[in-house]
Amino acid sequence: MKKFHIIGIVMILVAIAALFMASEDIATYSTFAEAVKVNGKIKVAGQLVMEKEMYYDPEKDPNYFTFHIKDMEGTEKKVILYGSKPQDFEMSEQIVLTGKMSGDDFVATDMLTKCPSKYKEEEMFLKESEI
Amino acid sequence: MTEEIQYIGEHLIFGKVGYFVILLGFVSALFSCISYFFATNKEGTSEFQSWKRLGRIGFTLHGVSIYTTIFLTFYIMIQKYYEYSYVFEHVSDDLPFKYIFSAFWEGQEGSFMLWMFWHIFLGAIILIKGGKWEAPVLSVLMAIEVFINSMILGIHIGTYKIGANPLALFRDTAAIPLFNNEDYITQLAQFADGLNPLLQNYWMTIHPPTLFLGFASTAIPFAFAIAGLWRKDHKASLRPMLRWGLFSGAILGTGILMGGAWAYEALSFGGYWAWDPVENTSLVPWLLVVAGIHTNLIAKATGYSIKSTYLFYILTFIMILYSTTLTRSGVLGDTSVHAFTEMGLENQLLLFIIFFTLLSIVFMVTGGKSVPAPEKEETIFSKEFWMFMGSMVLLFSGILITFTTSIPVYNKIAEVFGYDLGLTTPLEPIEHYNKYQVWIAIFIGLFSAFSQFLRYREFNWKGHSKKFAIHAAISMLIAGILTYVTALWINVGIWQYYLMLFFAMFTIIANIDMITFFGKVKGMNISSFTAHAGFGIMIIGIMASGLNKQYISTNPFAQRGLIPEDMINQNVILFESDPMFINGYQVTYEGDSIVDNTRYFKVNYQRIDKMGNRYESFDLYPNALYNAKFTKVASFNPSTQHYLDRDIFSHIAGLPPGEADIEDAKAKEDSLKYYSYSSLLNTPIEILDTVRVTEFGFDTTVVKKFLVSIEGINKSPVHHEYKPEMGDLALGLKLKVDYPADSTSYTAEPVIVLRGSLLFNYAAQINDLALKFKLNEKTLDAIFIPEAELAYQTMDLKVGDEFNFNGYKINFSNFEKDPVHSGYVKEEGDIAVAAVLNVNDTEGNNYSAQPIYLIRGNRPFVLKDEVSEVGLHFQFVKIDPATGTVTLNIAQHTQQSAIPFLMAANSYRDDYIVLEAIVFPGINFFWLGTIMMMAGLFIGMFRSIRDKVT
Repeated sequence: MKKFHIIGIVMILVAIAALFMASEDIATYSTFAEAVKVNGKIKVAGQLVMEKEMYYDPEKDPNYFTFHIKDMEGTEKKVILYGSKPQDFEMSEQIVLTGKMSGDDFVATDMLTKCPSKYKEEEMFLKESEI
Repeated sequence: MTEEIQYIGEHLIFGKVGYFVILLGFVSALFSCISYFFATNKEGTSEFQSWKRLGRIGFTLHGVSIYTTIFLTFYIMIQKYYEYSYVFEHVSDDLPFKYIFSAFWEGQEGSFMLWMFWHIFLGAIILIKGGKWEAPVLSVLMAIEVFINSMILGIHIGTYKIGANPLALFRDTAAIPLFNNEDYITQLAQFADGLNPLLQNYWMTIHPPTLFLGFASTAIPFAFAIAGLWRKDHKASLRPMLRWGLFSGAILGTGILMGGAWAYEALSFGGYWAWDPVENTSLVPWLLVVAGIHTNLIAKATGYSIKSTYLFYILTFIMILYSTTLTRSGVLGDTSVHAFTEMGLENQLLLFIIFFTLLSIVFMVTGGKSVPAPEKEETIFSKEFWMFMGSMVLLFSGILITFTTSIPVYNKIAEVFGYDLGLTTPLEPIEHYNKYQVWIAIFIGLFSAFSQFLRYREFNWKGHSKKFAIHAAISMLIAGILTYVTALWINVGIWQYYLMLFFAMFTIIANIDMITFFGKVKGMNISSFTAHAGFGIMIIGIMASGLNKQYISTNPFAQRGLIPEDMINQNVILFESDPMFINGYQVTYEGDSIVDNTRYFKVNYQRIDKMGNRYESFDLYPNALYNAKFTKVASFNPSTQHYLDRDIFSHIAGLPPGEADIEDAKAKEDSLKYYSYSSLLNTPIEILDTVRVTEFGFDTTVVKKFLVSIEGINKSPVHHEYKPEMGDLALGLKLKVDYPADSTSYTAEPVIVLRGSLLFNYAAQINDLALKFKLNEKTLDAIFIPEAELAYQTMDLKVGDEFNFNGYKINFSNFEKDPVHSGYVKEEGDIAVAAVLNVNDTEGNNYSAQPIYLIRGNRPFVLKDEVSEVGLHFQFVKIDPATGTVTLNIAQHTQQSAIPFLMAANSYRDDYIVLEAIVFPGINFFWLGTIMMMAGLFIGMFRSIRDKVT
């Protein structure tokens, strides 16, 4: 067997091992019900509950923002984000949170909000305005 | 009964011509592709020339068609023909001309055209210079063009739509009630979207064309690879492939870097790389093309790895298509912050990638057998062996990045088969990527260092090994020392990072050694040195700036026990003119100013040593870009202080609610409870406010007492929001507020303006007391008495005259030909003159008044003036030019009634910013390193173009 082939095989094995390890990192979307059971970080996707209070008072603490999220199963939880309130937060269609439960609240370390495009908004406006 | 509406003011000709040229472009690309196909297959026969001629005609037609389409699209965008949906979606009346290019490629259609623009440009070079490669390469390139052109076709087959036509009429793409109006165009402009404010930036003008040239350039080595396999002329294909590969690597790399620089310089991402799927999918083709360049060099020098070279260039292009599919199909919606919006082109994109994957497989299988096999086994002490290993490492890197980036794709595939995987990106994406890529960097560092001391096709290792060992050992020693020194400067962290730092140093030293002592300063050596030393420097830059970035803006006093360990406070609140000491810096928000639609916040940074001496001071202007109507912040843009050894980056993380969004401002204002008070001049009144306090576990009420007095009436008031106009009736109340509890005293001047029949209200706020003051029409009524109620006395005067009026000594000192008056704005052709009057009262106070007599357009106007402190009113009603005698009306009215005003307690502060500030140490190593890598690729390209022999 050529040295080349040995090295090739070794590299393929390393690649498979690396991919196997990398796949361990892949997360799945969880729900708050699961978050309560798991003692560690998870990802939750959900929608903002507009009726519930949203609190951000930068005068008191610019790194403290709370709001309420309804997850895919419809469970509502208060979310604490130790950071500033993002631009256009109220308009978000979907929110993906990374974090864990702390007592009855969900403490988020990362947040991704998905906003409808500006175009859609204008289009809706044109449709509704009936001009 | 459907009657065709006859629309007014449409410019239909562009759409009609556009539809035709787009279709012509598609058909001619197909025609050219087929003609060149036959030309390739008939090479060496008599038919070859005629097929080639047809191919060229097709190519030219296609080029002219696409360039015409681009021209037409630009034209309608510049003319702002909103009846075209692409114009409506990307242009608005207020869009500056300089952003027309950006608007053009903001949408998918425009970026497809940009892509084709470059393909045609590069194809023309092949047509002129390609020689025997012209036919096969352009056949492949035109096949690619057929697919891209189909993306902008915009034709319907049954219910299925192929492509989106950039020259489609808005009313053909959407059914909205507006189109029942025959003159709908006149109303469209107000709704036009315009360019996303985030993209109104010079980076948006240069980044996409560069990146798309990079994208387009990968098609050329790909086409050469297919052509090489097709013509089975493997030796000859290596040279043009190498040039184009180097070109592609240099341009694509530059395009990606520009994206990073954009994100860092102009967006509030707080970094140049975030492992976002959109970034990743453009990085992977670059890694592959660089791998291809290395195997290409091996193949040219030794004859080995020709197949790998083909494979790498093919993979590069396939990954470009994969990237295109991912970013344009909406698959990434959940995982990326900056993908295109979905357009329903998914199936076409899928077909695009499947077609070229199958085509590549067919050519690899059929043409692969003819690739010459190596005659002799390679030794592991040869340059080509380690270069090849390096290419494999790059491939690994690409595979790993693609594996994670493709997570949404796995979901989509599972969905097709009826499963819901619900997979998502890793919880800590950055750590995830870093964990693997650190090993990639380690091996690249190692191999790019070692291989510099090795020779191609080593046949005398024994004779060379001693020299190799000495150079390698000395380089490693120096690298070790430098690693140690660097670790004193930055915090390296885990051992993997030490290893990475060491090998980065090793490759820098080895490459310096190679070019100065070991090898010669010539040809490819310069290219290799620049690129590989650049790689090492880049790694140092990444470690310094990425692993050691430090938030200045953490407030140590606001730490809460609850904060998770991996979260640090990233933002700090700064009140205007209130210095804050944070992490060695004294940071002060000094005020804001508005230029066009951007509001700049001046933030001063100072560093003070132990002796109290200031040794560093600079101002940054992070800003908020408002939308066109100035109702809302569209984006916050950073401002960075650059030093040679570090950057201080800062951006606004938040503004007081009312400052960022006019709707919030309204809601806040509506929530305030204003009460009406009134008082006489200079007579303080006491106002009590009951405040509920719920802090620190208490729930109690506190009564605050304020003393408010009106200190004066200002009839030419100044307010930062008020722009005086001719004919305004403006009024300001000078208020003084004492807060005995703190023995503090403040002033405020709310303003009210009557303009025609409209009232404008400008509130004044005392932030420290959370008080807000407003005036209303009652204030106006109390102060402005109708002219009819004033008992004017008429008087004729000459310059120098002095007289007594109600105990005031009034002197008419002179005329003023260029008068200044709060209610007067000078116009061309005005004849204005003011009588300058000096008023002295018995207590020795001096006042001045300048009533104006104005002739504008043959009509006389009287602009009265008054001394509001004593209530004297003056009108300059007549002038006799012959004698110089003027007629004045004089009246006095003293304010005796109380003056009403409104006050609200618990107002919201509006004098602060929430700031994020980060120090990036050594970030210039990153820029230097990456620029060197690109320069290395460019040098290699020019070198290989000049190199006619091999």
